[in-house]
Order: sequence, then C-alpha cells, then structure tokens
Amino acid sequence: MPIAELRAVNKSFITAGGHELKVLEQIDLAVHEGELLALLGQSGSGKSTILRCLTGLIEPTSGRVLHKGETLHGINEDASVVFQTFALYPWLTVEQNVAVGLMAHQVSRAERDTAVDRAIELIGLGNYHAAYPRELSGGMRQRVGIARALVSQPRLLCLDEAFSALDVLTAENLRQELISLWRSPDTGLSSIFMVTHSISEAVEMATRIVVLFPRPGRLGLVLENSLPYPRDEKSPEFQRLVSLIHECITTTTLPDIPAEAPIAGQPISRARNRMESIPLVPVGQILGLLSILHDSPELSNIYDISDEIGKEFGETIALVKAAEILGLVETPKQEVLFTELGKRFVAADRETRHAIFAEQVFKLRLFHIIIALLEEYEEVDSARVIKDIGSALPYDNPEKTFQTMIAWGRYAGLMDFNAKTGMVFLPKNEDAAEDAS
Amino acid sequence: MKSTSPQLVIENKQPNFTWVDGLVLLTLFGMLWSVMHFGQGMLVAFDPASVPELDFSTSQIPYYAGRTLLRMWIAFCFSLFFAISLGYLAAKNNAARAVILPALDVLQSVPVLGFLSATVAGFMALFPGSLLGIECAAIFAIFTGQVWNMAFGFYHSMVTIPNDMQEAASTYGLTRWQRFRTVELPASAHSLIWNSMMSFGGGWFFVAQSEAISVMNKDIKLPGLGSYMASAIEKGDNHAALLAVAAMLFLILMSDQLIWRPMLVWADKFKIELTESGLTPTSWVYNLLRGTYVFTWLGLNAWQPLADALGQTIRRIKPAAKRVRPGAINWPLRMAGLVLTAWLGYEAIIGVFAAIAALHGALTVPVVGHIFWLGFLTLLRVLAMTVLATIIWTPIGVWIGFHPKAARFAQPLAQIGASFPVNMTFPVVVGLFVATNTSMNWGSILLIAMGTQWYILFNVIAGAMAIPNEMKEVARIYGLRKWQLWRTLILPAIFPFWVTGACTAAGGAWNASIVAEYATWGDTTLKADGLGAFIAEVTKSGDTALIIVSIAVMSLFVVAMNKLVWRRLYGFAERRFRLD
Repeated sequence: MPIAELRAVNKSFITAGGHELKVLEQIDLAVHEGELLALLGQSGSGKSTILRCLTGLIEPTSGRVLHKGETLHGINEDASVVFQTFALYPWLTVEQNVAVGLMAHQVSRAERDTAVDRAIELIGLGNYHAAYPRELSGGMRQRVGIARALVSQPRLLCLDEAFSALDVLTAENLRQELISLWRSPDTGLSSIFMVTHSISEAVEMATRIVVLFPRPGRLGLVLENSLPYPRDEKSPEFQRLVSLIHECITTTTLPDIPAEAPIAGQPISRARNRMESIPLVPVGQILGLLSILHDSPELSNIYDISDEIGKEFGETIALVKAAEILGLVETPKQEVLFTELGKRFVAADRETRHAIFAEQVFKLRLFHIIIALLEEYEEVDSARVIKDIGSALPYDNPEKTFQTMIAWGRYAGLMDFNAKTGMVFLPKNEDAAEDAS
Repeated sequence: MKSTSPQLVIENKQPNFTWVDGLVLLTLFGMLWSVMHFGQGMLVAFDPASVPELDFSTSQIPYYAGRTLLRMWIAFCFSLFFAISLGYLAAKNNAARAVILPALDVLQSVPVLGFLSATVAGFMALFPGSLLGIECAAIFAIFTGQVWNMAFGFYHSMVTIPNDMQEAASTYGLTRWQRFRTVELPASAHSLIWNSMMSFGGGWFFVAQSEAISVMNKDIKLPGLGSYMASAIEKGDNHAALLAVAAMLFLILMSDQLIWRPMLVWADKFKIELTESGLTPTSWVYNLLRGTYVFTWLGLNAWQPLADALGQTIRRIKPAAKRVRPGAINWPLRMAGLVLTAWLGYEAIIGVFAAIAALHGALTVPVVGHIFWLGFLTLLRVLAMTVLATIIWTPIGVWIGFHPKAARFAQPLAQIGASFPVNMTFPVVVGLFVATNTSMNWGSILLIAMGTQWYILFNVIAGAMAIPNEMKEVARIYGLRKWQLWRTLILPAIFPFWVTGACTAAGGAWNASIVAEYATWGDTTLKADGLGAFIAEVTKSGDTALIIVSIAVMSLFVVAMNKLVWRRLYGFAERRFRLD
C-alpha cells in the first residue's frame, strides 16, 4: 500500500491579478514503500504544488489525497519536509531547531534530547549544537533542515528542491549522504519523495523518475531506474537514462510536426485553432542564444547547447522554443538549426533585426490580442489585455505572459507600456523602438 | 557520518553567580516592593464630593514619579496583551480581520482625551468610593495611546512571516500554542519591541494629560508627576515646574536605558534575515546582563516549564488534535467570534443611539459649523507643522544619517524628544510668548511641533542610513552636485521614510493640539482658535454634547486625512521609490 497517494488531483490558484490558473490536471501519483521517487519538472510546472498536496500542506481543488489507503485530513504525520530555503528559525539554536521536529510528539525531555543528539550526529553536525543558523554556511543550514526532518523518524521524507540553493560541491556531498541514510536500515526511513528540476540529480538519486509537463501540470514519462548505487555519472547506463529524459522533454516541447502544416485527409484539429503560448524568456537571452549558435556552427545538439550556455535543460528548451516560434531556428529531432530567416537575422544590422523580429512577432496569434486593440484605440488598459490573455490561454499565468509580450513587443517596436498609468500604446516613432531595445 | 568542515568548538560555559546577579536580584525585589507600595495608593477611598488637595511638597516628587511609572507599566502590559490578541486574531481569521482592521483605523484617530472623558464616569461607577475607578480611567487613557499602533505592528509582522517557516511548523505538527511560541511570537518580537518602545515613549505624552481629569466640573488630580506639573502650572511655580521636568526627563531616560535599549539589542536575534546586518544598536546594560546566572536560571526553571505546562494543558483540553494546516477553519472559534462580534456591534449601536439622544436638541447647525471651521484651522496648523518640520529636519536628518557616529547619538535623543510632554514646556514658552507678544494662533504651531517633529527627524535619519553605499558612490563618480544629488538620489530614497514619519507626526499633532492650543501658566491663559483648544475647554466645563461632537469631528478629520493624503502617499512611495 502506498505511503502517500494522489488520485485524480486537480489544483487551481488565483493569481495576483485575480485570474484563476489551473496548475495541476488529473494527477495520479503514489509514493510506495522503500522507493526514492523523483518528480522532475521545470520551474512553474507545479511540482512543489504536488509535494504540498501529498503532505497535506495544501488541499487540492478536486481529487483525493490518500495516506495508507485512507483519505488524508490535515497533515500527513508520516511525512516530513526539507525546504529549498531551509526554513530554519533564526532565533533557535541548531539543537532547538532540530527539536522542533519532535514538538508534536509526546516525549519526555530526556527522550527528546537523545533523539535530537542522534539526529544531529547522524547528519554530521556534532559540534554545532549551540550554534545559531546565521553562523552556519548554506550547506550546514540544510543539514540542520535534514536533521530536523529526520528526528521524528518519519517513514517518508520529502525534499522540495532541497539542493538547489546550495553550491555544486556541497549539494553533491549532501545527495550522497542522503542516499546512504535512506539505504541504511537503522533510520526508520522508508521512502523519499524528491522534487527537482535537475535531470542528473534525479537520475543520480531516484529509483523511479516521473516527469511533469507544465501548463497545466500533468504527468508524462515514468521511468524505473534500477542502476546500482553509488551511481557513476560517466557510465553509459547513466548517460542513456539522462538522454532518454532529454529526448522525452524535447519531443514534447519541440515536436517535429510543424504546427501549421495540415495533414492530408484529416480534419484540422481543434488544438491547432488554440492560440499558442509563448515561452517566458527575455529577448536578450534569445539574441544571446542565436549569437552563440552563429559563433559556433558546430554546435547543434540541444544538450550540447544546454551545457555550453550553462543553463538548466528546461530553460534551454524554453529559449530554443522561443526562437523556433519566431521562425529563426528549426528543431529536427534534437538538433537546433538556423532557418534562412534566422541566418539573415543574425547577419543583419540592428534596424533590420528589429524589422525581422517585428514581422515574426506579428505572425504570432497571441500578439493579435494587443495589436487588434491598438488598431482601434490609442491606448489599451493592461488589465483588459491580461484578462483576454487569461481566457485565450487558460493554463498560463496571464500577468507573466503579458510582461513577456510587452518585452518582445517593445523590441519589435510594435507596442510600448507605461507602468505608471498601466496603459499599452503604440510607440510614437521608430526612435521609440530603438530606445526600448 | 562526520562532517569534514573545520570543527567549531562551542564552550558550554556555565554562568556563575556574580555581583551583577546580586544587583539583578536586588532590582527584582525592589521592583516587586515598588509595585506593592505604589499600588496601595491606588486603592484608597475616594469621594468625588470632597476632592483632597494634592500634596505639593517637593519631597513627594519621588513618590509621584513612582505612581506615574506604575500607571505607565500597567497600561503597557494591557496594551501588549491586547495588541497581541487583536493582531493575532486579525492575522488568523478573515472575518475578524474584516472587523478589526477598520476598527483600529478609526480608534487610532480618536484623541486620547476623548477616551478619557467617555470612560471616566463608567470606571468610577465600577469602583464606587475608591480611587481605583479614576486610576483605571487614567490607565485606560494611556492604554489607548499605545495599543492601536502596537496591534497594527503585530498584525503586520504576523502576516509577513515567510511562508516556508509556517509550512515547516505545519509539517512538524506544531499545535497553535507551539506555533505561536516557536514561530510567530519570535518572528514578531523585533517589531513588537520596537513598536512598544515607540508607544511607551508616546505614553509619557499622555500620562500628563490623563492624571489631571475634569469630571462633573471638578478637577481631580491623581497623585503623579503629570498632576504635580499641572498644579505647578496652575500656581505658576517655577521651582516646582523645573523639578517636575527634571523628574520626568529622569524617568524617560531611565526607562530608555534600563529597559528599552537592552530589550532592543536582545531582540536583534529575532530578526528574520539570516545575514548579519550593518548597524546594530548597543546597550551597556545588555552587555552587563548578558549571560547572568539569574536570567539563565529563570529561563530554564521558570519560563520553560511554565510554557511547557501551558502547552500540555492546551493539549489536554484538545487532545490528539489533528495536524492543522495554516488557514484551516476552527468552527468553535468561529462561533465564539461571531457571538463576540454581534455583542460588540450591539454595544456600538447602543452607544451611537445614546450619543444621538444626548446630542438631540443640544446642538444647532451653526455650532457644528463652527466646530468644523475650528477643525479646519487646526488642520492648517498640523499641515504647517509638517511642512516646517520637513524643511528644517530633512537636511539635518540626512546629514546625521550619512554620519553613522552621529546617528548613534541622535536617534535616541529624538526618541526622548518625542516622549517629552508639551505642557512641561509651558513655563518657558508661555512667558516667552507673552514677552514677545506672539499670537497663540501662530505660537501653537511651535508647541504642536515640540512633540511631533521628532518623528520626521528620525525617519529621515533612518532613510538616509538605508541608502546603499553603491548608490552614493555612483553619485560621486558622476559628480552629482548639491541640488542634482538631492533630486536624483537623496529625496527619492528618503521619501518612503519621510511619509511614515510625516504620517505619524501629523497623527500625533492632532492629539497634541488639545494641549498645545490651550496653554496656561499661573494666571495667564493663551488660547488659539482651533479644535484642540475647543476640546480642552469643553472637557473642562463638562458639556457632554459638545465633547462628543468635537471629538467626533477631530476623528473625522484624522480619518479623512489618512485616507485622502497619507494612504495615497504610501502607495505612491511603495510603487515608485522602493529601494530594491
């Protein structure tokens, strides 16, 4: 029987602008005894929301949360959470912070002290009992967070991006220690559920990997990972798993079938009539990507590009996708190649670039929400535009999409925005476009 | 598994009993004795028909100081309790928040004297034949001068606790009490103590007003420094007035040095940010007391068992409570809240009807019109004070803020300036005005500024200190000079701080106008045309209808000004000039 389970869970939030945003759709996910389950997804895909539903920190909009086969009310008592931001209390010493993990348990003071000491020793904080969190380094702080989570001997440990605020070396060290803690029989720890955006981290640690696709969050690939510990990142098996996940994400995000080409003999699908959302990336980064591709013609594999620009794979994908919908690159399989237009774009001077960019942005249906309004009125209230974006793209955060659109539109010289009045307007002349860039 | 990082050895030093501990113990016993000694004076018999004269001998001053101090502390303890309860409720419960926040907004704008006149009769009826009724009224007045601000502060820090800290408390299954004790109270401690210090400082201002009460055309003077001062002013006794001022200054200084400074330094560990911050306050008392045996012992053997026992009791009342997630609904509490709200609403309606009945027929339109006109005059004075204080103190405050050493001295001084009661300056000021033939209509602006300008000063100092060094360096590199520098960097950077300061100053100015527009010294009475002077007069003569209307009008002016001016400026400052 699973320790914790989600059945047909949906979750919606109200955004800051009052728009209802669906973040999770029909999630079925179970954490079984003895497994180390990694949930992999880009930022904003709803993976932290899944963790919070599973532990009972938030309630799903619909669907059931189960704990040992029964509906969960309140917080899952078998679970404890390690937070990305550590969530330590700065006014408590290391010892007192760890003791917080036992507050809900009816234990004598002596028992409590023994348990706290044990947890602190276990995680290698032996000499830091009386230190305050602000005296510790990031890695040490997260150790306190882990000790606090382990002190009550939970069956299930949940890690919410627990390593992403740490530097590379510290994170690697902590990952290894956590794996050995989970594998050692005397901690009482049965399962770990971790949420991460790092593919290699998931492959390095997990026995099962679930990939979450965004907007709205829904489960994609599920992979069993039976590689023996300790896992070697250089081993071909490890690499195979990593590229399997890469491929899965790439084909879903950058499908090879061109979006506009009708397939003979088939009715035009409803999906094609939907507006396509835009990746929330700044113009400067798209230009940066193009110029790197231009400077290194041998660089075409998307994973190599991701390594080269030093970004998370999810972010790289978003950038490539942005360049693709602008028609500047194409992505057959896992290659990223310039289109004819893209070649012209990188070789052009600044004015021509603006013109090409404007032309391409103009082709995007989403932008016609604003462009159509601007043809009619001199100024348009941003609140109205955001509302329209919200109804056109029900799974995107309309405020964030609006900001990205304004950034792209400014570079293209198609629109400008006055933050003081909250009005979108047509730039007066060509100079405005120059300034905006 | 052992850590590989350098070993940090923390000595677990067992504190020993030293002379400091002896001193602390002596002080604690002294305090206990003082509370009993001065407290006894509150319980003496009292008959409003024959009010005893205040003993005016100099030797009584220490006793009066003790009584005043005790009143302040009792009021403060109640304020603390209410501020925490109200703030907690407002933060936890949506329905309560919808009632509490607007109520605080209005209550904050009612002048302290208004509460005093409204409640003194009730308190006297509660304890017939005892001085305790009047003591309660005075304490209540001081309480109303402190509590609203503290409640707002506590509410604000409750809702700004980082979400992950609350979530951690939820996953570890902390009960409400444990959550309050380990997370919410510590997270709010710094702001609570800072606010307490400011409110307590403001309390001195009101203690002088609240000790000399007029009821039923009789002047009742509670034994205390404020009424001693009032007597000295009535008699025009220079010597006595000077002594009272000295005693008051001594009390203010001692409270600051012995209580608030050490508390503030101690509270530094409750700041939420995990990084070390720049300028931290220091206190010699704190350095002396830190790690003393008495406090360690008390913490270990008194506070912790007490808090644990309380936690156990709560758990026994509500056994095996399910782990609650933040924001979960508690039905019994909600019902209790509904009943309480209904009762409060009922009382309020009854009160309003009673007021209307009292006013019915007693007022004519021209009178009300006149009161509004007076309110307008006082409004002009408040604005004049704000503008003048801004012009004078902004350059000085910025200079101080750029020189941290000066700031270390200037900030506490400004705080003391803000606590010093205006009427204690009458001996000098009234004489000066008479001698120079200054009209009170103008002079009262100066008197209003006496107590309120400091808020502008120390907020400007804080703002200037908060300007990041890089920004100043950029200005230097590009050679920004004088006005350019002020316009591009300094003024925008201090603007949000100035708004806070000016808003507090203006709010305080309305309260101060009741004292400052009506100054007496011996037989000389100087009076300005204004709502403050009007309220001072009608409370003296005890005209209920006029008291109600004039105070309502003043509250109306304050609320309107908050809504129309300050709230907007806050929003503007927040949008445009935030430094991050």
